[in-house]
Amino acid sequence: MFLDVTGRDDASTNSGDHRGTQQPLIVAKNMTVGYKLHRERKLLTALRDITLTVNRGEFVCLLGPSGCGKTTFINAISGIVLPWEGTIEVDGAPVTGPGPDRAMVFQDYALMPWRTVESNIRMPFEFQKLGMSKQQIDERVERYLDLVELKGFEKSYPYELSGGMRQRVGIARALATEPTILLADEPFAAIDAMTREAMQSELERFVTKTRQTVVFITHSIDEAITLGDRIVVISRRPGRIKEVLDVNLPRPRFDQDVKSLPAYSELRERIWSLVKDEALSGAHGEE
Amino acid sequence: MELGKGRSSVRGAWGRIVADTETNTPTDPKSFEDKDRIRTAGFSVGGLWDQYGSHVVTVVNLICFFILWEVFARSGVVNKVFFPTASGMFGTLWEGLTRSAPPDAIISGQIIDHLLYTLRTLSIGVTLACLLGVPAGLLMGGNRYVEKILSPYVWGMASLPRIALVPLFILFMGFTVKMQITIVTLSALFPIVINAWAGVKTTEKSLIAAAKVFGASRTNIYVHVVLPYTLPFIIAGIQQGIGRGMVAVIIAEIFGGSNGLGFLITRAADTFNSELMYAVLLLLVIISLSFIKITRMIEIYIAPWRQQVVM
Repeated sequence: MFLDVTGRDDASTNSGDHRGTQQPLIVAKNMTVGYKLHRERKLLTALRDITLTVNRGEFVCLLGPSGCGKTTFINAISGIVLPWEGTIEVDGAPVTGPGPDRAMVFQDYALMPWRTVESNIRMPFEFQKLGMSKQQIDERVERYLDLVELKGFEKSYPYELSGGMRQRVGIARALATEPTILLADEPFAAIDAMTREAMQSELERFVTKTRQTVVFITHSIDEAITLGDRIVVISRRPGRIKEVLDVNLPRPRFDQDVKSLPAYSELRERIWSLVKDEALSGAHGEE
Repeated sequence: MELGKGRSSVRGAWGRIVADTETNTPTDPKSFEDKDRIRTAGFSVGGLWDQYGSHVVTVVNLICFFILWEVFARSGVVNKVFFPTASGMFGTLWEGLTRSAPPDAIISGQIIDHLLYTLRTLSIGVTLACLLGVPAGLLMGGNRYVEKILSPYVWGMASLPRIALVPLFILFMGFTVKMQITIVTLSALFPIVINAWAGVKTTEKSLIAAAKVFGASRTNIYVHVVLPYTLPFIIAGIQQGIGRGMVAVIIAEIFGGSNGLGFLITRAADTFNSELMYAVLLLLVIISLSFIKITRMIEIYIAPWRQQVVM
């Protein structure tokens, strides 16, 4: 069931709808990750035996029920947790810690409440030595403030902004250092439905422009289909890869009504049949 | 063509959200004028009331209270030795704060001298408590071993009523300022330690994760995440510490010493000077409330993003 898709003959890769290339960028091999539960003094396996390759420029959605280890997966890519077994490599080198080539967008925005919008976007430049002059950083911050349309809110504090605006700050902060890989942990889960649609389409536009590789966590099937080139379905804890599906829908998807295409509903049904049992057992509170 | 159109419509969606937060622009100019007039008229009255209304209520409330007090005291239901008139109390307070003591007075020193003495003891004690407590709390939050070692003592001392220690310190140091300062420091120390400790411990995990992802070193995390997050907790701790220190200084002065507001209260009681006693009590209320108000303002200024602080 573990698909290594690096060498596969994928027609959609060449069709122009698929953003990915054939160059592997993130390679996880038989990776098992977990964490220590301090209070209960035990180890908890979050992900077991994960083998997955993400190609350069690809938009991969990780889909699964709550607590299936999706977050642990991108934490492993970002380097804030390290695998217990197996390996994870980014651009040919094993991940040993966070790096400027990877940035993350968080579900609860994770903006520093004592920093202004501008200062939050500037934060990664303060921590990472990117060898940029002050003027270059200023220009960069300004450009990404502009991109997420937050001009005029530079001096505002996060608590003064709406949820959607806060996440735009989060996105600008992640994109401003122009990382190769953008990791997103259910970034739109806490945002109201209408704003969410607008933000999904904006994200598609940003990463199409910047050609970033995106690993995007979601528990929404629709979000996964409308955004992803590939969908990785993960089972309940300890998380394993259940299935990897290609999304062969034309891009940019928000300019066309992809939801009305027969391929969309077919895919949706297929994914639903994969996650149905777990979603239902989750709803009944079974672990 | 189609592509561009789609993009601009999306931009529009965001643009609207932004515009909504800035202004509400009415479409019909006539209705705008009407609304504006009504709003302006309402604003001039409602605005003033909104701004000063609660202060006016407080002042009127207090005036009524003291008038009732005065009437009640003059009626003679309660002996004047126990319950002075409000005017007598204010008179004594005013005199005590503005005039220097006559050399032949029964009680040495005026209210102002004792006030300054108490404030000095209090501020030295609280300052010492901050200097010891803030680093101790931060260390306990940041290092598991320090926490393990210190926490039984901190909880033990925090749960012991510090007043019970007063006789011990009198034994050690006599009726001295040193004894009073020690008691104030010990009283103010533990709320400060515990709040700083709690602040570090409750720093939001996602903020630390974000800092890590964006390349923060350990030092960066402490300086740029944990410390700013903990700052409002520290201020809340100091606020509590001042309150506890205030109690401690008065009790220490009542127990022993020949200076300070606590001493003045006992002297006033001994000489049946109820006006002086009530004046000192009122002064204590005013001082405590001012301290709370000032620390509250500092808190809002430093951390406007956190209007409520736990513990």
